[in-house]
Amino acid sequence: MVTEMIIQIFLSALLLGVGVLAATQRTTSRMLRVTMLAVVATGAFLVWVPKATNRMAEIFGVGRGADLILYVWVVITLALIVFLYLRVAHLSRKLTQLARAVALARPVFPPGTARRPGEAPE
Amino acid sequence: MAGTSESEQQTWVVVPALNEGKVIRRTITALREVFPKVVVVDDGSKDATGKEAIDSGAVVIRHPLRLGQGAAIQTGIEFALAHGAAYVATFDADGQHNAQDLERMLRILRSEQCDIVLGSRFLGRAEGMSRARFMLIKAAAVFTNLTTGVRLTDAHNGLRVMTAATAGRLRIVQDRMAHASEIIAQIGRMKLDVREAPVTVTYSEYSTAKGQKMSNSFRILLDLFVGWLLR
Repeated sequence: MVTEMIIQIFLSALLLGVGVLAATQRTTSRMLRVTMLAVVATGAFLVWVPKATNRMAEIFGVGRGADLILYVWVVITLALIVFLYLRVAHLSRKLTQLARAVALARPVFPPGTARRPGEAPE
Repeated sequence: MAGTSESEQQTWVVVPALNEGKVIRRTITALREVFPKVVVVDDGSKDATGKEAIDSGAVVIRHPLRLGQGAAIQTGIEFALAHGAAYVATFDADGQHNAQDLERMLRILRSEQCDIVLGSRFLGRAEGMSRARFMLIKAAAVFTNLTTGVRLTDAHNGLRVMTAATAGRLRIVQDRMAHASEIIAQIGRMKLDVREAPVTVTYSEYSTAKGQKMSNSFRILLDLFVGWLLR
């Protein structure tokens, strides 16, 4: 009985850690925080009531509870990858704007040329 | 400068460059015989590209880090517009293009009073181009026609000239090589009056080795898809 509980205690500690992290991260969006907490809560419930996954699997027409968890996990992971990819693409656009502003702030003119039309040469 | 008329004086030619130290002096020198105002956007080269470009009389803007050719063109356009350009052109640094073609394109832009003129190697000549590259660029042109509704014979030519008004409306956010398709997509969306002009593209051993790897086309498609998602 106690040995069966080792994995449950371990997973619960892990989930608790993630939950605390998600709840205290003020930098992430509110929606992400709530989603994370919901995932953690569901995870904790399933860790302590593993039979529930089997019943859920039956409802969705999946053979075993463990399979259902795997499929859900794959979907969450893929969604996360797409989200992060788009976020990186968005950040790189910001970076481009910054680098461009830096570059445009210091053009190098060949010696003896007018800097702007009508402006005297250096 | 000899042979330079008023409209050439009012044109800023944007030359994006990355590690072109060996050839850029020749490119810029020949270009400036017709178009005195050249801005080289050095995309963080590791060689003497920037110094060579200044020595040949171009203004040089240097990206603090490598962003890509599309980003370099947008930077150059913004510089040109801030410095009184009436016309803005784009021109490759590797010696594939020639200034006389651009001169002819500028004349078309002015006489036809259109918004932008794009160079086409398929209306003109493509010297030393491999058969595989011909097929790929043709396929790219067909793809661009289908996705943008703009009918062109050549979709990936770096030789362009446009009015300042057009340059001000373009907004290139495709930092890498997908900018060529992006520009055409924006031409289609803004319903610009676009013309194609025959130009000669010379494929030297240098430009072939330095230029686009054909495998990059997959990256271009991915960039276009992500750009579409972020739009």
